[in-house]
Amino acid sequence: MIPLNWVVGLAAALFGIGVVGVLVRKNPLIMFMAAEMMWNAAALVFVAFARSFHAMSGQVMAFIIIGTAAAEVGIGLAIIVSVFHHRHRLDIDEVSRLKG
Amino acid sequence: MILFVIVALCALIGAVGVVIAREPVHSALFLILNIIALAVFYIVLSAEFLAAAQVIVYAGAIMVLFLFVVTLLTAGKEDQQRSESLKGQRLAAGVLAVLAGGGLAIVAVFNPSRPGLLPLALPRNFGNLSGMGAILWGPDFVYLAAVALMLLTAAVGVMVLNRPRPAPEANPKVREREL
Repeated sequence: MIPLNWVVGLAAALFGIGVVGVLVRKNPLIMFMAAEMMWNAAALVFVAFARSFHAMSGQVMAFIIIGTAAAEVGIGLAIIVSVFHHRHRLDIDEVSRLKG
Repeated sequence: MILFVIVALCALIGAVGVVIAREPVHSALFLILNIIALAVFYIVLSAEFLAAAQVIVYAGAIMVLFLFVVTLLTAGKEDQQRSESLKGQRLAAGVLAVLAGGGLAIVAVFNPSRPGLLPLALPRNFGNLSGMGAILWGPDFVYLAAVALMLLTAAVGVMVLNRPRPAPEANPKVREREL
């Protein structure tokens, strides 16, 4: 069996890469995908600890994470499309003032 | 252990590819690689239902939505880079995030686990459809209801966000305010 430490370490690395993506890229779509990666890393930690502690509550939490990610992608992409219709550019700096 | 290294490399390559790819379509495809590698991890960690849900929901629904939006928004446009409004923000962000992620990973890898805590055999139906159904429709039903409510709210919210607006030419004042 895989040692738990390495799985959690992998999840930490994925989370860090996701943070880099959100902070460095300017395309809102790619920032969104990096945020998805951070959700995924959190879900991986939950599943790994569920396996380690033999408790399925962790898997329920990962289920909630997957559901939340689905809802969040729907809303977020709708917002991106709506902003794009106003500004016609894919750049997160377009909404830096959060004014319609 | 070899399997772990291969799948972990797939996940990491996918993750790095999402961040460094120029085209958003390539980012989406790298993200699919990352997601499928994580689904393999879920199977290895005996979370079969979550692996199936991950592939169906992420690699199916979410990525199709992403690809639709990418084609809708970036078709026939080249990406023009503008100067940064915050000087040095990228470098500082990259360094800080790598330090944070690397530190977390090092702490996680080298922290000794406590093997005496665990019973030896997995319980029956651990992580498969029967087990997840029993726990989601039993003691943890409130979470299932919460996810259902959240998805319903998101669907209604998307429709409200993209509702047809009144024609802007009819009222110049409204048009000015919206711009």
